[in-house]
Amino acid sequence: MAKILLAEDEKELQKAEVTVLQMSGYEVDAVDNGMQAVEAAKTNIYDCMVIDIMMPVMDGIEALKAIRASGNVTPVILLTAKAEIDDRITGLDAGADDYLTKPFAMKELLARIRSMTRRQEAYTPTKLSIGNVTLNTEQQELSVENAIRLANKESKLMEFLMLNAEKDVSTMEILNHVWHGDPEADMDIVWIYISYLRKKLESIDANIFIDGERDQSFILTSHEV
Amino acid sequence: MTTESIYGHCKETLSLVENIMLDRLTRLNKETKAKTGEGIYEHLNSRVKTEESMREKCARKGLPETPESALTKIHDAVGFRVITTFIDDIYTNVDYLKSFDDITVIEEKDYIRHAKPNGYRSYHMILALTLPYEDILGNNPGTFYVEIQLRTIAMDTWASLEHQMKYKHDIGSANQKLITVELKRCADELASCDVSMQTIRDLIRDSR
Repeated sequence: MAKILLAEDEKELQKAEVTVLQMSGYEVDAVDNGMQAVEAAKTNIYDCMVIDIMMPVMDGIEALKAIRASGNVTPVILLTAKAEIDDRITGLDAGADDYLTKPFAMKELLARIRSMTRRQEAYTPTKLSIGNVTLNTEQQELSVENAIRLANKESKLMEFLMLNAEKDVSTMEILNHVWHGDPEADMDIVWIYISYLRKKLESIDANIFIDGERDQSFILTSHEV
Repeated sequence: MTTESIYGHCKETLSLVENIMLDRLTRLNKETKAKTGEGIYEHLNSRVKTEESMREKCARKGLPETPESALTKIHDAVGFRVITTFIDDIYTNVDYLKSFDDITVIEEKDYIRHAKPNGYRSYHMILALTLPYEDILGNNPGTFYVEIQLRTIAMDTWASLEHQMKYKHDIGSANQKLITVELKRCADELASCDVSMQTIRDLIRDSR
């Protein structure tokens, strides 16, 4: 069951929201201000947080900033009192993933929560298959009938190549997507990891190959080269 | 008590066979080391199966306890284990053994590219050597079988641990199942390290 943190200071509205969320199958923790929201986010694990901006003691934006500063990446939906553009921009910049303007329809809040939680789980499948090869991204396991474990970046690179199979991907694109602009990473690291994956595919008798030359572009293909 | 050897009149010859193979492998290792600075194996074990365990094996396989069974039906009276540092060295050894005119490969199993379901990895070969000695059937030159297992240090480490586990019956059956799964995961992780180190060696050699 997905768990939601709801930070809302208007008692009547909070009660209504809690009821609807619970009826929709969510477990809900409701708090009355930003300070309590920060505390709850510290001690519990949530699938989504719904935070009102206008709250006493500590407002929603400050609470959100504190939550993000602690390294928490749980999806956050902000509730804004009126259609203040600046409020929304400040909220999104502070780390919100979405916002909803009051008054809103409950079914829209539910749809947005669904969209946020779905994104986390189903964004990429945990199992990818091409040719006789399956990559389990959760286990970082590459298998045919025989299996081999992959290091974290090897798994990320393999996933990227599989999601873009039969497409040319440049060394720079790989650096950007797999190493996310890590200043330590350069073209050489891409070549080393491509080399690891080639050997590992070979070691399990895979029928897919990574074609391409050092520092150029690579293609994951099932066509013999 | 004096009973006839399970190996009959070939008892002494088996040690000769063992030494011939030992000589060939150590020679290649020395030659390669002189040329490249690296040997083709890390270490090497060999043995002639004891009388006792050969008799036990005959019984287990439902064969009469005779020299014919031990030397023609069973093929591991003489056994070698070659432990290498890198995966490719295994295949270098295999190719080398195949290059001898007096060696015929009877059976060959690549449990490295096709690991056993429990994660076991090793390269197994049964060789038939034609040598100028009388074999158990009275042929001269005779045919002598040798079993060779080749694997990396990492594969060997895993196999030792798995071997120990198999004989520990005091582990609960629930734990047994979990441990089997975890051992398989270790085997796959070790295989990953083996391949990574092979890749690094290749990259270093390519850049020379």
